[in-house]
Amino acid sequence: MNHELELKLQAWVDGQLPVHEADAVARLIETDAAARAALTELKNTRAALAGYEDGIKVPESREFYWSKIAREIERQQPRQQPTADSWFHHFRRLLIPAGAVAALLLFGMFASRTTSQDNQPYDLSNLVADSDAFAFTDEESGTTLIWFSYPTENEFAEPDDSDIL
Amino acid sequence: MAEIPQSAATDEQLVKAAQQGDMGAFEELVARHRDKIYARAYSMMRNEDEALDLSQEAWVKAWQRLVQFQGDSSFPTWITRIVINLCLDQLRRQKRRRTESIDGMDEESGGVERQLPVVIINPTEGLERAELRERIDKALAQLSEAHRTVIVLCEFQSMEYKEIAKAMNCSIGTVMSRLFYARRRLASLLADLKKAE
Repeated sequence: MNHELELKLQAWVDGQLPVHEADAVARLIETDAAARAALTELKNTRAALAGYEDGIKVPESREFYWSKIAREIERQQPRQQPTADSWFHHFRRLLIPAGAVAALLLFGMFASRTTSQDNQPYDLSNLVADSDAFAFTDEESGTTLIWFSYPTENEFAEPDDSDIL
Repeated sequence: MAEIPQSAATDEQLVKAAQQGDMGAFEELVARHRDKIYARAYSMMRNEDEALDLSQEAWVKAWQRLVQFQGDSSFPTWITRIVINLCLDQLRRQKRRRTESIDGMDEESGGVERQLPVVIINPTEGLERAELRERIDKALAQLSEAHRTVIVLCEFQSMEYKEIAKAMNCSIGTVMSRLFYARRRLASLLADLKKAE
């Protein structure tokens, strides 16, 4: 039996021979004693290996084995992994850009009205000194509102979030 | 996970909880599958310390990539693939540090295995489980790394030839040849061990 046939026989045993070649191998086994001997050897070897790994156990206690994994996870993960509990964190991330977009839209709306109505009683402007802050002035009521599109510096501000601004 | 004890939860439930950051659920997954993952690393590396280190590294990697696990395969299959890849990387690093041996060059051509007589009698028949495992242990230890790896991936992981070829970075033909000669050598080694008794 040549090497090509040996490999086909093996592929047949492993269930990886194309269907159209399987019949030819089955016929070969019926007629060729060497093929039958090779098949027996293959099957015996496969049977001997079956279940070999089932008997291998970790040579350490559950606690000790886990402690090394837990330590490594904590070492590689200095920041808390985001969880479903940190919804406020995600909310804040969305709120700031959404607020900025809303302020810009308002600004655009009021600016277009300013050009068509020269005698309007209020004014919305972008503060030149700080491009992320907007001022709304209502002269009739004497009210001025200033909108900052970033968090203020107080005890609630998270320094780690500086990268999202 | 609050209403179901972790020991009674399914793998899928534990994976979901672990994906939400529940380390307790992940620890339960480790406890359930640690023997299988260690066994796979040991089969490939034949070294207890390396198998321990690589199996633990696999669990750390699994935790880091847990959000990527979509459940296309079972969790044990997924984590087993991680440890196999780590072992293959380690074997490649070790190979780069060594010079190629003559045995290594003969792997694909079956230099020695071609001459071996076919073993028709089952060399492991009638053996107790522990005795059989010990004998296979000795035989696997005598195979070259390439032969052992292909045996582990095909016999224990049930990977297809094309998957093995991809993992080992070689052709399907090379996988088939290596597998054939690895099995021939294994049969011969098991027969020799029987005779030696």
